[in-house]
Amino acid sequence: MAFRRSIKNRRRRRRIGSEFELPLTSMMDVLVIILVFLLKTYSTSQNNLSTVKGIQLPISSSVDTPTDSHQVIVTPEAITFEDERVVEFEQSTEALSASDAKYRFKEADLQDGGRKIVPLYDALIRARDQSEMLRVKSKARDAQGNPLPFDGIMAIQADKRISYDTVRKIMYTGASAGYRVFRLLAMKRDT
Amino acid sequence: MFKRPSSRRKSGHREVQLNLVPILDTLVTLISFLLFSMAFLNLASIESAFPVASSEAQANQLKTKPLQLTLKVEETQTKIWSYFELIKPTFVPHLEPGKPDSVRIHQALVTIKKQFPTEKSIVFEPNSGTNYDSIISVMDAARNLEPSDESIYFKDPATGREEVAKRLFPDIVFGNLMGDR
Repeated sequence: MAFRRSIKNRRRRRRIGSEFELPLTSMMDVLVIILVFLLKTYSTSQNNLSTVKGIQLPISSSVDTPTDSHQVIVTPEAITFEDERVVEFEQSTEALSASDAKYRFKEADLQDGGRKIVPLYDALIRARDQSEMLRVKSKARDAQGNPLPFDGIMAIQADKRISYDTVRKIMYTGASAGYRVFRLLAMKRDT
Repeated sequence: MFKRPSSRRKSGHREVQLNLVPILDTLVTLISFLLFSMAFLNLASIESAFPVASSEAQANQLKTKPLQLTLKVEETQTKIWSYFELIKPTFVPHLEPGKPDSVRIHQALVTIKKQFPTEKSIVFEPNSGTNYDSIISVMDAARNLEPSDESIYFKDPATGREEVAKRLFPDIVFGNLMGDR
């Protein structure tokens, strides 16, 4: 008898469960709060610049926002160009514990008295050729009807521990490959 | 005799349930759109052109000597000077080895800007060991005017009107890209 009552109770409980309504009002509240927060902090980007894991960018008070361009990312481990690692630095064992970045170029990677980074130069030339080819195919033309010239802008995103010597090598390599304007990137200071 | 049925119950509030599901759908779609199109990486940029040497003819055409303001970061100090000696060189000691004092550099540059308010360019020569963080902080100090800085007025040569300088020396060129030190 008791067993039968228990089954009945269980069925009744199940019936109550099937009529349960999700409390949508509180869910709405949460979503509205998220929406307001996102709208308040919303900022769109005019570029597709990305970054790499572990990079420590310096903070700048510059108000200029970078537009789309070819990008070189420098960390104490490697140089990345357009999401592809082109140069791996040689690391010493003390670099693991040091607060300063301790890295050096492989000798085979350098040319022109140590100023030009060969793998980066090759990657820059490939990117430039590709960009010029796209401009030839594009319908956009200048006043004389010629394809738009290569803009030659290179964005450099470097870890704050990277030395000027490395940045200078990158700029020299860029200039050798036809890049004449350098954009040094940093994190924008919160106002 | 029957009484007229009470109308109290009929005129009472009819329970209207707002259909929240489409509103929820809209909110979720909006949030997804905002999250996808949002820039989480808030980057700032400082532009610098590769230096191009002017020809001898161009140099001879110059009626007056240019300022050619140069900011050189050395091992222990920063030197601010003019190639044509139009200003007295200023030396700003580093805060600690390898860390330039960007506040005092900025103050020195504001003083120079007051003397040469139409000048916009500066040659920057960091030491090879200067880190990227210091490069950015010195460039910021050389380019931007702070709200706390005194207003610098100048006569615009194009319009002839008196204007307030909005920036310090915004055109920065690296002067030692070909060097080894």
